[in-house]
Amino acid sequence: MITAEQKPIEEIREMIGPYKRVLVVGCGSCVAECAAGGEKETGMLASALRMAAKMEGREVLIEEITLDRQCVKDFVIQLDEVIDQYDAVLSLGCGAGVQAVAEMYPELPIIPALNTEFLGETRDQGLWVENCVGCGDCMLYFFGGICPLARCSKQLLNGPCGGSMDGRCEINPDLPCAWQLIIDRLERFDALDRLERIYPPKAWSKKQGRGPRKIIREDQQRVEV
Amino acid sequence: MTDKRQFTLALFYCQNIPESSLPERQALEEAYGPSLKLFPIPCTGRLEPLHLLRALEEFADAAYVIACPGGACRYFEGNLRARKRVGVAGDLISAIGLERERVGLVANEDGDPKPLATLAREVMDRVALLEPSPVLNKKDRQKGDPP
Repeated sequence: MITAEQKPIEEIREMIGPYKRVLVVGCGSCVAECAAGGEKETGMLASALRMAAKMEGREVLIEEITLDRQCVKDFVIQLDEVIDQYDAVLSLGCGAGVQAVAEMYPELPIIPALNTEFLGETRDQGLWVENCVGCGDCMLYFFGGICPLARCSKQLLNGPCGGSMDGRCEINPDLPCAWQLIIDRLERFDALDRLERIYPPKAWSKKQGRGPRKIIREDQQRVEV
Repeated sequence: MTDKRQFTLALFYCQNIPESSLPERQALEEAYGPSLKLFPIPCTGRLEPLHLLRALEEFADAAYVIACPGGACRYFEGNLRARKRVGVAGDLISAIGLERERVGLVANEDGDPKPLATLAREVMDRVALLEPSPVLNKKDRQKGDPP
């Protein structure tokens, strides 16, 4: 899922400062799972912003709503009924959500309340870790399900760097050496021969360098009648 | 002082606190009048930071939680979770310039747990040191009961 963290409230207050009627829009998907922009967080932020405005003696309207998904226009369209009442939207969606709302309502400023971080795994309650860089050319088969691009600090594709000690990364000893994990895992499956291949430098053109990426699935698209 | 009389405390408490059933609650409400709003909850683990924030936003000068002693939660960790959530609410109000002391958690004592009335008085004494909340204007203060 996509992970995010809330921006400092001072930064948010500065961005919404010029507006008198603000709709705070949460998202019930990824950012709710990582406790950054779900219904609870949206309510808390809106409440704090209202209190801050009252303390300053400012007359502002700050109301909140949480959509099931902010990055899908079929859900964003629910805002149609209320959006006219506001002169700005403060979005607690990820970057994709903010832009989906902005595209739907081009006449309104859509302000991000979150910093979108990474594709994360929920490792434990309150702990999210980056295990995937979204490279566009998954190599997890060859590396026993451990991605060296996301989990090796040096992003090495052809074995460990030689600096790891006792299975820990030399760059950040808090982390396990990704290559130690890869070798242990492939050994368990009797598949160490996969490492006899030489893996060329990653072709990053599948991730970046050609503008925003796009996935088209004709079988999932609307049928024209 | 007029402002002192109007000071309102929102007090959330675990229903497993001794002597916290309906008659005792009603007696407390009668004794303190509109300056004390009581909110019984089945376990303080049910509390969300939003409950405290909305109380501060709408009617309360302070919002506190009375929890069971450490290790004595009927649901094992409800009181521990509540302490963290009070911390989250404290961080947030502090970030907008409101005193962190306007929210807090008081855990009952292990071994010789106090009744709700004693704990409520302790919290009232503690928050009496605070000035009236700058969030609430006069109109809000006279509203009376929370929505």
